[in-house]
Amino acid sequence: MMAMNPDDRLLQQRTRRQLFRDCGVGVGKVALASLMSGSAFAAKTHFAPRIDHVIYLFMAGGPSQLELFDYKPELQKWDAKPTPDTFLKGKRFAFMDTFSKETPKLLGTRREFKQYGQSGLWVSELLPNVGTVADDIAVVHGVSTENFNHGPAKLFTNTGSVRPGRPSIGSWVTYGIGSESKDLPGFVVLQSGPRGPRSGAALWSSGFLPTSYQGVPFRSAGDPILDLSNPRGVDVTEQRQTLDTIADLNRMQFSVSGDPEISTRIDAYEMAYRMQTSGPELIDLSKESKETLEMYGAEPGKGSYAGNCLLARRLVERGVRFVQLYHTDWDHHQDLTKPLEDVAREVDKPTAALIRDLKQRGLLDRTLVIWGGEFGRTPMGEVREKGKVGRNHHIDAYSIFMAGGGIKPGNVVGGTDELGFSAASDKIEVFDVQATLLHLLGLDHTKLTYRFQGRDFRLTDVSGRLIKPLLTS
Amino acid sequence: LFTIYVVRTALILALFTVLPAAAQDGTAFFEQSVRPVLRANCVACHSEKTLTSGLSLETRESILRGGNRGAVVQLDKPTDGVLLQAIHHTGDLKMPPGRKLKDEQIGVIEKWISMGLPMPAELAKSKRPGADHWAYQPPKKHALPDVRDAAWAKNPIDRFILARLETAKLKPSPEADRATLLRRVSLDVTGLPPTAAELSDFLNDKRPDAYERVVDRLLASPHYGERWGRHWLDVARYADTDGYTIDAPRDIWKYRDWVIDAINKDVPFDRFVTEQVAGDLLPNPTIDQLVATGFHRNTPSNYEGGIDFEQYRVEAVADRVATTGAVFLGLTLGCARCHDHKFDPISQREFYQIFAFLNNIDEVDKEADRKYFNKPFLEIGTDEEKAAFAAWEKEVYDIEAAIRKREDMVTGDGDADPELKELRNKLNAHRRKRPALLRTMIARELPESRVAYIHLGGDFTRKGAVVKPAVLGVLNPLETNSPNPNRLDFARWLVDKRNPLTARVTVNRMWQKYFGRGIVDTESDFGTQGEKPSHPELLDALAIHLMEGGWSQKAVHRLIVTSAAYRQASLLRPDAAAVDPDNRLFARQNRLRLDAEIIRDSALVVSGLLTPAIGGPSVYPPIPAGANNVTQVKREWPTATGPDRYRRGLYTFFQRSAAHPGLLVFDAPDATVTCTRRVRSNTPLQALISMNDEAAIEFAEALGARIVKEAPADDAQRIRHGWLLALSREPRADETERILRFIRARRDSKEDEPAVWTAASRVLLNIDEFLTRQ
Repeated sequence: MMAMNPDDRLLQQRTRRQLFRDCGVGVGKVALASLMSGSAFAAKTHFAPRIDHVIYLFMAGGPSQLELFDYKPELQKWDAKPTPDTFLKGKRFAFMDTFSKETPKLLGTRREFKQYGQSGLWVSELLPNVGTVADDIAVVHGVSTENFNHGPAKLFTNTGSVRPGRPSIGSWVTYGIGSESKDLPGFVVLQSGPRGPRSGAALWSSGFLPTSYQGVPFRSAGDPILDLSNPRGVDVTEQRQTLDTIADLNRMQFSVSGDPEISTRIDAYEMAYRMQTSGPELIDLSKESKETLEMYGAEPGKGSYAGNCLLARRLVERGVRFVQLYHTDWDHHQDLTKPLEDVAREVDKPTAALIRDLKQRGLLDRTLVIWGGEFGRTPMGEVREKGKVGRNHHIDAYSIFMAGGGIKPGNVVGGTDELGFSAASDKIEVFDVQATLLHLLGLDHTKLTYRFQGRDFRLTDVSGRLIKPLLTS
Repeated sequence: LFTIYVVRTALILALFTVLPAAAQDGTAFFEQSVRPVLRANCVACHSEKTLTSGLSLETRESILRGGNRGAVVQLDKPTDGVLLQAIHHTGDLKMPPGRKLKDEQIGVIEKWISMGLPMPAELAKSKRPGADHWAYQPPKKHALPDVRDAAWAKNPIDRFILARLETAKLKPSPEADRATLLRRVSLDVTGLPPTAAELSDFLNDKRPDAYERVVDRLLASPHYGERWGRHWLDVARYADTDGYTIDAPRDIWKYRDWVIDAINKDVPFDRFVTEQVAGDLLPNPTIDQLVATGFHRNTPSNYEGGIDFEQYRVEAVADRVATTGAVFLGLTLGCARCHDHKFDPISQREFYQIFAFLNNIDEVDKEADRKYFNKPFLEIGTDEEKAAFAAWEKEVYDIEAAIRKREDMVTGDGDADPELKELRNKLNAHRRKRPALLRTMIARELPESRVAYIHLGGDFTRKGAVVKPAVLGVLNPLETNSPNPNRLDFARWLVDKRNPLTARVTVNRMWQKYFGRGIVDTESDFGTQGEKPSHPELLDALAIHLMEGGWSQKAVHRLIVTSAAYRQASLLRPDAAAVDPDNRLFARQNRLRLDAEIIRDSALVVSGLLTPAIGGPSVYPPIPAGANNVTQVKREWPTATGPDRYRRGLYTFFQRSAAHPGLLVFDAPDATVTCTRRVRSNTPLQALISMNDEAAIEFAEALGARIVKEAPADDAQRIRHGWLLALSREPRADETERILRFIRARRDSKEDEPAVWTAASRVLLNIDEFLTRQ
């Protein structure tokens, strides 16, 4: 680049310093900063982080905690009995109509539970592989959320609001501390299962933050990022020549106008080119060893939750800050037999493999793996078709688990009453989970704010407490 | 105005003439006995400033208004009421917290209430702290400031700008060269770059008012309505689908066309607003006035199974209040949804009073009405067409119900279930048979208003005091004879010339589009936490220009773009930057990256592909493969192959949960809430789209072919033609040399001539200057 005179340099520095409060001209540079490491103006953490990466395994649809982790022998005794009024009074449920016809009956699980590992963690027969990593994970029981419909509840878990329009947790994180990857976006979204998650792109939207913090959906087959391939008829040579010509012409214009935005654009085009090279290499799982592929149950070239778990590890290895996997569909209103078994099987082995693989590569200590859905399912059964029974959405007490740096392994936090209706002691809310996640990354959830429409917004709104029993220190 | 003044004066006189002796005794009692009790026990929490639970015991007006839970004193039942229950500790609420007043103190309060709450005159009316904030005072006419270089000023704007610059010892920048100026004003006013012919006409027009003629031509162009209509659609959160989970297509593009048309016709801004907020309540509303009410129907709507429809209706109404605040008043009303505004004199009660105005549209609020989802509609057609449509719609509903039922039975891969697959195919096939009936979502008032409550903590299930529609106390009063003011009264209040905010906020947003930042930098927050205006007198002058010019928006546009301030060069000024690094004094123009749609539109013009048709249903240009299947329900994207493939960006079908990446990646708003300013990011994903996307390649091929066809077979001439088309200027020598090197390299790779010029065009459509208005 041409030499700048001192005044220009001052001007550029000044422009950079303005970035966080000016959402108009000039925001591009910080955007790029979030995607590129080693940049002098990358944002800082509030205190020393315990982890550098997050892999969020989002179980879309609302997995039944009562069939997976929250073992309730007492509920067995109450099986098929009408739900006591005290549990229903003042509660609102989804599909009120199916519940209003007659008093719903309690439903004991049909699944066998057993204890795993040194910690004696209760896990059901549906997740035997997760059981084998019991001593690496910490389960949180009795988590509660605010909305009993899928779309809004997913938004709430991701953005702290039931309405679309707020930044997602991955956007907040990359806005807060940027990314370490030089040639991949800082926030990547992967999907598997029969359909996309409800609410779609709003779940990884950057809301009122600049769009550069938006989650970038990667496809596990074909072009991983939209428009990543050269267009038809353009080979590598032409692409390189084109970029060089654009860059030179941009430099000429910079020498005339002096607008630092032009330099940013030159950098953005260069990074796009690097993404073109690194993207296909990233999703090519064929270089992984046979053992690794078998451990995950992944097949190169075939999109699946297993493949995405492996991809998540590869992304984290390459410095990506926040990886979110969505897997559909856990919405078992109707039937807790085969449909539930199928989705549990899809998830069980790869999830355990991911934790084990991260650990053996020394990455687990700097990564948080979090597993959970938008809500759980009722202790009452729901009968929509004769002879079958499922469970309705339940927002007062569901289970999630975490593993990784800063998390006390082999640990159970929180608990529910004997029938699994509510948290037994202190309520643990979605905001608390969010606050804890940010804390592990070295961010104080009350200080990570962004001014929009006159208000300093934060992910946790006016709530959020650290879930201290989860943490090693 | 005069009669109201008279009535008020008469009232005040009446108060003083009827009550003198009694009032003096009462106020003495208040001062000696009551005030000490209140001061020691109550007002720390219940003052005009602290307003705990919405209650202030500081003024007579505020005591009678009550708190968020309702009235606390009833003068017709002086021995009853929440206040007395609370101090007697007889109800749930016990005050003061943790202790009880002495019996004689309680007696004082009881006596005072039975006397009718006498208080001195200065405590009769609520006093809102912050009411003296600049933005709540009406705009004033200011004399034009004196300047040394008066010759620079082309119109009054420039006197205000220059005066500040001269104080800072800065000179304005010279006027931009004519080519830059033409490209700038064309993009700003119509969103389209000038054609080669327009450029040469302007360069050859030696008349002194050549530029003003260009401005008049642009403002008369129907593309002006598209450009400024799109700005308005941002604030209206316009989209073609419902949002939330299902995110199905909705019928509302007629509203988009109404906006374009109204702006082209320069419908006076007061009417423009009134018709959008309350067109349905005008006497004998026309079809256009009904279509306009789509404005507040642009909120997302939820159709997911198992929801409480009332919850989402309430969300929509709350959004309408917040949008009204941001768009018209420049106030962060949304902050007062859960509690009183922390900084501005806006109480939670007032939020719900405005809510009450907007709460009565006949929308679905219960499961039983699911089949009427998104009502009310305006249907434009014959009775037969309407009947055919209703029958078709019923069938859609029936198939959807069957799908929902089946979906609940099948978990996992729904695509694998033959019955479900068949039902979905049936639905798609049936959807394609939609009868030709034009309809659009509108507002229609319920015959009887819904009861509006304060939602305690912002939670609609926790009902507080019942509230009646009313406007913000700190602003101009509502002028109406109606005992039950409605949405129309509210709309008229917004555009009442005494409203100190609407005109200022509107001209500020216009200024922001022309300079990249507003005179008030926080364009949606004119409250006490917002930035102060950089040029308060100029802001007032523009607001008054809007109001006194018959609310003509075109008049304000003309004034701004013909000013010397607007015409300045945008080159960086190190001397000015040292004093004014943010360019708040406007010592130069700002370079601005083009909006998402305008990048597309520019490429369409330059390549000669543009289909310039205005309006109609939204269209489906090519979309990158896989871009729209991230949502729960996969939607069809019937990519246009005819002229609709090349329509302007604002007509691209906007799917809320999976909008076209060409729009989103370049910072088009996601249409969930109002957007009063777009960010301008600069990212690698943008580079991938403008380098590699199918549409980008099509544009490059068309531009390449055009260069070959229109310019002689000479590299220098063809390069020059490319530059004139894409950038509206001659290439500089170093630029010609550099692109020539690229062209030769392409020839060395044995590319044929059309391919070489496609490659060169691809470069042109990607350089920063093409994406930027200078």
